[in-house]
Amino acid sequence: MFRNTYDSDNTVFSPQGRLHQVEYALEAVKQGSAAVGLRSKTHSVLLALKRSTGELASYQQKMFRIDDHVGIAIAGLTSDARVLSNFMRQQAMSSKMIFNRPIPVNRLVSAIADKAQVNTQEYGRRPYGVGFLVIGQDNGGPHLYEFSPSGNSYEYYAMSIGARSQSAKTYLEKHYESFADCSLEDLVRHGLHALRETLQQDKELNINNTSIGIVGPKSENETKEVPGGAFRILENSSIEPFLKTMVAKESADAPAPAAPAAPATGDEDVQMSG
Amino acid sequence: MDHFPTNWGRPRNDAFDAYGTYPIHQRPQNGPKDAFSAGVQRTQQPIVTGTSVIAIKYKDGIMMAADNLASYGSLARFKDVQRLHPVGDNTVIGAGGDMSDFQYIQTLLNELDIEEYTAQDGHSLGPAEIHEYLSQVMYARRSKINPLWNSLLVGGVKNGTRFLAYVDLLGTTYSASTLATGYGAHIAQPLLRTAVEGFEDVLTEEQALKIIENSMKVLFYRDARSLNKYQVATITKDGVNISESKHLETSWSFAEGIRGYGAQTQ
Amino acid sequence: MTSIGTGYDLSASTYSPDGRIFQVEYANKAVENSGTAIGLKVKDGIVLAVEKLVHSKLLVPEANRRIQTIDRHIALATAGLLADGRQLSNRARDEATNYRETYNSPPPLKAVADRLGLYVQAYTLYSSVRPFGISTILGTVDQDGPALFVVEPSGVFFGYNGAAVGKGRQLAKTELEKLKLPELSLREAVIEAARIIYLVHDDAKEKEFELEMSWIGPESNNLHVHVPKDLFDEAEAKAKAALETFE
Repeated sequence: MFRNTYDSDNTVFSPQGRLHQVEYALEAVKQGSAAVGLRSKTHSVLLALKRSTGELASYQQKMFRIDDHVGIAIAGLTSDARVLSNFMRQQAMSSKMIFNRPIPVNRLVSAIADKAQVNTQEYGRRPYGVGFLVIGQDNGGPHLYEFSPSGNSYEYYAMSIGARSQSAKTYLEKHYESFADCSLEDLVRHGLHALRETLQQDKELNINNTSIGIVGPKSENETKEVPGGAFRILENSSIEPFLKTMVAKESADAPAPAAPAAPATGDEDVQMSG
Repeated sequence: MDHFPTNWGRPRNDAFDAYGTYPIHQRPQNGPKDAFSAGVQRTQQPIVTGTSVIAIKYKDGIMMAADNLASYGSLARFKDVQRLHPVGDNTVIGAGGDMSDFQYIQTLLNELDIEEYTAQDGHSLGPAEIHEYLSQVMYARRSKINPLWNSLLVGGVKNGTRFLAYVDLLGTTYSASTLATGYGAHIAQPLLRTAVEGFEDVLTEEQALKIIENSMKVLFYRDARSLNKYQVATITKDGVNISESKHLETSWSFAEGIRGYGAQTQ
Repeated sequence: MTSIGTGYDLSASTYSPDGRIFQVEYANKAVENSGTAIGLKVKDGIVLAVEKLVHSKLLVPEANRRIQTIDRHIALATAGLLADGRQLSNRARDEATNYRETYNSPPPLKAVADRLGLYVQAYTLYSSVRPFGISTILGTVDQDGPALFVVEPSGVFFGYNGAAVGKGRQLAKTELEKLKLPELSLREAVIEAARIIYLVHDDAKEKEFELEMSWIGPESNNLHVHVPKDLFDEAEAKAKAALETFE
C-alpha cells in the first residue's frame, strides 16, 4: 500500500535521514496551477494561472491580500492557504496594533514557516499542502519570498511554484539578471512570458485565467490610483493592457510566424485534473 | 498634637493623613474596612517616586532632562537614580512616577530590544514604535485597573525625523515640540513653550541646553520633590548620549526675608 | 544496513534488540546531508562559518541566513534540516529570555546549551515526535571569556575549542586540529575558518555554495554580528587562493 516503510508518518526519518511525508506535501504544491513572482529595484509582482472546474464555475482564487504592503500567490490546497493567510493577516494586524509598524515581510514569512515546521515534526497533523510566493515592501524595498510546506522560506530575485513551474524557472534563470532595472511593465511582461511556459499545449493566457499582483508605484496600464504603492490584485479586463504587451512565443527566441490571434476569452481555460 | 483647632474635642480620624506622611505604611488604618473591595485592591498610589521629566525638540534632534532623585513620600530617599533610559540606537525614555514600575518597564523594553536585535534583519524599532508599544502596555494595564504608575516621555530621531511624545498611567498620549511631566507640566512647560515653539528648527544644541538648564533650575526652586542634580539626554542622527550628572548652581539668599523659611525675627 | 525492515527503526520510542535508537541515528543522517558548519574558539572570541549550499541561482545572496543570533552575545549555527534549525533557535531565544527574566543578567552559554540539550532530548523519547534533524553549534563571549558548545540530535552536548558539523566535518576537524587555536587572533581565526569551509566543499559532488561567517569579540564589542565586509572579502580571497595552492 505504501511506497516504502518510512513514508506513512511525519514523525519518522528514513534511514537516509529523509522525511517522506514532507516530500509528498511538496508534491501537493505541484498539483496546483503555477504562480510566478519577480522583483525589480522598485516593484515586486506576482502572476498566477487560475483554473476553473468547468464552464458553469468561476475561476479559483490564486492571490490573497495580507496587508497594504504584502500579498501572496498560492499553489496547492486552497483551504490550507486560507488558514495560513488568515494567520498572516493576524500577524500583520498585531504588528500594526502593538508598534504601529507594517510588519517586516521577512518576519511574516518566517512566522508561517515556523508554524509549518511544527507539522513536520509532531504527530497528529499533516504538513500543509500549499506553497506561497509572498511579495511585499518594507524599509528594505520590495521583496519576493517563497514559503513551502517543509517549513523553509527563501528570498529570491524571481521564482515560480506549482504545476510545470520548472519551465517557468528555466525562463526566469535565463533572464533574472535584467529584472533589477526593469520597468513595471517589462517586469510583468517577463512574468507573463514565464507563466506562459507552464501552460499545456494549445492553451493561452487570457483575462479570465490570469491574475496579476503588484506592490510598488502605479503602472501606466493601471487606471486606479495606488497610494503608497500598496499591494493590489489585477484581474479580468484590467490585465488586458498587460497581456497585449506579450511577445509571441516563437518570436521571443527565434524568428517566427506572425503572432497568434488575440487570446480567446471564456472557454480556453485549463481544466482541473481528476 | 493636632494643630487644627477645629478638630479639637472631636473623635480622632486616623484615616485622614493630616500631615501628608504617606506612603509610610505603618500608619494605622482605622477607616472602614470593606472585605470585598479589599480583596480586589490594586495599586492606589505610587511609593518611591520620581518627579518631572522635561523634553524639547531642537535643530538636531531631541533633548530631555530629569533629576536624579527618587523620593519616598516627602523624604528625599535615593539621590543617585537615573530616570532616563536608552532603548536601541535612536530612542530615550524619561520617567516620572513610581520608580519600581519604571524599572519593570525598563526590563520590558530590554527584552524587546534583544528580540529586535536577534532578528538581525536590518529592521529596528524607532521612537514612534517604542511609544506605540508603551501606550499599548499602559492602556492595557489601566484597563485591568492595575496601572503602571508613571508618566513617560519618549524622544528620538530615526530616518531624519524627530519624535517626541508622552504617555501616562491612563494610556493617554500626545505629542508636542515641548513636553513636561509631573510638576514640570505646570512650572516648566510654559517656559519651554515660550523658548521653543516656532524655533524647533533653529535652536542649536547650546541654546537648547540653556533652555533645559534654566527650566531645571526653576523646577528645583519651586518643586519640593526635586534635586539640584540631573542628567540630560540628547538624541540626534548620530545616536543617543546621556550626560553625567550635572549640578545646578542656585542661590537662596532671597529666601532669608521670607517668613516661614529663614530665621524668624518676630 | 541491518536495521532496515526489522521494524525497530520506525519510532524514536523503540529500542532495537541491541539497545540502539535508530530514529536518532537517522536524524544524524539528515545532519550529514547538509552543508558544513564550523566554530572556532580563540583567546578573545569565537568565529562561526557555514557552507551554505545554493540550490538555485535565483536566491538573493546574503538574504537567507543560516547563522542565527540568540542573544546579544550568543550565536547559533546549525547543520541539518533548515526549518528545524529555526525552530531550535526560537527555543534558544525563549530560554535566554527566560534566564534574563529570572536572574536579570545575560545568560551564560552553559545554561542555554544545558536547556537546549534537555529540549532536544525530549524529542528522542516519544513515538509522537521525531528527533531534531540538526547538530547545533553555539558560541558566546561573556564575562568568563569565549565558549563553544555543540548540541547533537540525541540531546547530548559538549564544549569544544573547535567544532565541525555537517557533511564535511571529518576533514574540517582534521584541519581544526592542525591549528593552534589558543594562539590565533580573532582576525586570523576568520581567515582560517573561511579557508576550511572552502577546503571541505566538494566541488565535484555539490552545487554552488555561499560562505557565511559571523563573530563575537572585542571588535564587535562582544556582540554577535556578521563579519565586517572588508575582512570577509579578504578571508574569502585568501581561501580561494589557498585552495589553488592546496591542489
